[in-house]
Amino acid sequence: MGDRVGAVFAALADPSRRYVVERLASLGRATPTELAGELPMTRQAVAKHLATLELAGLVHSRREGRNTVYRPDPTPLRDATAWMERVGAEWDDRLAALARHVAEHGAPGR
Amino acid sequence: MEVEREIVLPVTREEAWEALTEPERLEEWFANDVELDATPGGHGVFEWDNGEVRHAVVEAVEELERLVLRWDDEGTVELELLEHPAGTRIHVRETAPDWGTALELHASAAWATA
Repeated sequence: MGDRVGAVFAALADPSRRYVVERLASLGRATPTELAGELPMTRQAVAKHLATLELAGLVHSRREGRNTVYRPDPTPLRDATAWMERVGAEWDDRLAALARHVAEHGAPGR
Repeated sequence: MEVEREIVLPVTREEAWEALTEPERLEEWFANDVELDATPGGHGVFEWDNGEVRHAVVEAVEELERLVLRWDDEGTVELELLEHPAGTRIHVRETAPDWGTALELHASAAWATA
């Protein structure tokens, strides 16, 4: 899962790609040409960003006639949020155990 | 992306360092079975009773100050010891590789939940 989440964050590290995915999210669905019309980017640049986003699972494409239509998919971000919650909870438990341990270890005669 | 936590332990820095780096002490709070050579490039094996096993390499170690482990899945854990009036402050940072910043997560999470 680490690799998959890594791809998600690498994809979103680029501000232009975040711009593309946010615009796509607000439109719900769009072709690269439609997105390029809404953004200060060429169609080629949009298409390239969409390809990277698709590899990370953040958007999905479907052929509709002569067009390729993209839709956003926030599922991978939920994985990332889940990772943060899981690792955070692990450390909460471990540090509570550490506090108990040093209290017991250092208690009498030290 | 990373997760950070802090705790203040009412013990000296030496005592805290032992609790964070000696295998038999780590077995009291971190994992059920621990092997760790807390020297640069040293190996660590952490086993839990649920069958989980994680391998690590010591990426950095500064006696009484800082220990950085790199997991075999490429994430890292940094344990930092800092001065505190009540004892020793422990700062934990667990990171995964190539992840954007938490700020970027928040920026993108806005559309994830919209």
